[in-house]
Amino acid sequence: MKGEILTTKGAVRAEFDFWVGLYLDKFLEGLEQKKFIGNKCSKCGKVYIPPRKICGDCFEHIEEYVDLPETGVLTNFTFTKWAISERRPRQSKNIKMIGLVKLDGADSAMLLPILETEPENLKIGMKVQVVWSEKPQGQPSDIKGFKPIGGA
Amino acid sequence: MGVQPVIVSAGFSEHASKRSDVNMAELMNEAIEDALSKCNCTIDDIDCFINGNMPAFEGANIPELWMTDHMGAKNKPFMRVTTGGTTGGSIAIAAYYAVASGLYDTVLATAFEQQSCGSTTVGLSSVALGEVSIYLELGYDYEKLRRNMGAGAAIGVGAYQAVNYMRRSHCTEEDLARVVVQNRHNAAKNWWTHLKMPNYTIEQVLDTPYISYPLRFGMVTPASDGSCAMIYTTEENAKKFTDTPVFVNGVASVSNETAIVTSEAGGVGQIDPCVQLGAKISAKLAYEQAGISFPEKEIDYAEVYSPFPNQELMWLERLGLFEENTAHIQYREGITAPDGDLPVNCSGGVNSTNAIGASALERVAEAALQIMGKAGNQSPKEIHTAIGHGWGGALNLITLSVLADQSRRKYKGGI
Ligand SMILES: [Zn+2]
Repeated sequence: MKGEILTTKGAVRAEFDFWVGLYLDKFLEGLEQKKFIGNKCSKCGKVYIPPRKICGDCFEHIEEYVDLPETGVLTNFTFTKWAISERRPRQSKNIKMIGLVKLDGADSAMLLPILETEPENLKIGMKVQVVWSEKPQGQPSDIKGFKPIGGA
Repeated sequence: MGVQPVIVSAGFSEHASKRSDVNMAELMNEAIEDALSKCNCTIDDIDCFINGNMPAFEGANIPELWMTDHMGAKNKPFMRVTTGGTTGGSIAIAAYYAVASGLYDTVLATAFEQQSCGSTTVGLSSVALGEVSIYLELGYDYEKLRRNMGAGAAIGVGAYQAVNYMRRSHCTEEDLARVVVQNRHNAAKNWWTHLKMPNYTIEQVLDTPYISYPLRFGMVTPASDGSCAMIYTTEENAKKFTDTPVFVNGVASVSNETAIVTSEAGGVGQIDPCVQLGAKISAKLAYEQAGISFPEKEIDYAEVYSPFPNQELMWLERLGLFEENTAHIQYREGITAPDGDLPVNCSGGVNSTNAIGASALERVAEAALQIMGKAGNQSPKEIHTAIGHGWGGALNLITLSVLADQSRRKYKGGI
């Protein structure tokens, strides 16, 4: 057998689900009405979006839901010519911008596309505002992304 | 000899076939909160966290990283342990050593599985790779191999064990059904379990079709979502945390043969899958540490890991609690019922509830609760010494914890 390579082929289908649970479900319900819903730790006052069961700092149950505005601040960003969420990486015609957005009044940030501007305009601390999809369905894709306030 | 580890609490989430009301982190959190609520220990008292599940069963790699906040483990030492079906048993042993070594005072041992998220077949494909690769080396076709091993599930292994066990012991299918009925009746009296069937009968079991001879649909373990958490600490701390400390006096983890292709893989030439030398050796090791010379007399309670009923009979014999080939007769006589001489799996066992990664930890947890007198389906008998056992399919890995209401006697040395 020395020097000989045996190969065998077999296909394994790998499909998985992810249960969002009651807390993230509340967030998705909000999106359907074009509303941001977070929750607030009664001990340290931190506001989480999306809402979550436990405050990581306090190990407390978070009970209080809070509505958050459609505006926030860009806290980090990048841009790329490479298309993401494809099986094979490929260059796209448009440059995609992605940023971490902290909604006004929130203590956590969400990673989302940045729209209606150019990469050279991106600045940490710039004010942004949500762009909703036309027909929200209670899914993460209801948030198309964020755009600079007042245009840029 | 190290520090004496003591169990002060054990907690569970509710188990069901689909806990879609929670994500993985929230599911794990439920058992931790239950365990903390049952003793005077708070999350601030925990010095070290141990967590595990079956790798890839939910399709989430390194799940402990995003579960940390929900476990209260922020900025604390944390270790992941995953050894297939015995994951929970290995977590119990890791918690034992974390305390025994003197490195940590109080350790939270946690395990979970949310099987409804994933594909068990895919998960098992990765776990069983050791066994599978040997067949592939022989030029075996992968699809054919999956069929022969029982369509990618532990039932393949269980069926081969059952055939040999029945030939040796002359136990009947009715005897297998009797084990199942006892388990499901027990599960009905325990709050956190999955298959609660208080009126299940032997006739009903035997009326279900075979999945893999001699195992019928009505005999096999379910796939569950659930979690379990246990708190291990020192004798000194235990006095503060609880009035009912449980001492861990011996642990062992032994694998001696692969599940089916023993002669090729393990090199031990063992072709009878119900010999289970690994179980015998782990029992010898753990009992010696615990100062137990006559397990059949000294052990009052057993939680054994038996997804399939033939395994419950086999383990009780291999772990030295009954003479070989006699366990099924003990069941006929009610010896293993909650009010019998040797209550077994009052929890309902893995046969009634199987959140795989958590299952072997749940055996230790239920054994501890029976000693504390706090189990969901408490035996009326006084229980001083109990064992919690785990089994993992691909390599017949056995984990064992020996628990008692008193500190161990002096350890006399190796085997
Ligand atoms: Zn907080």
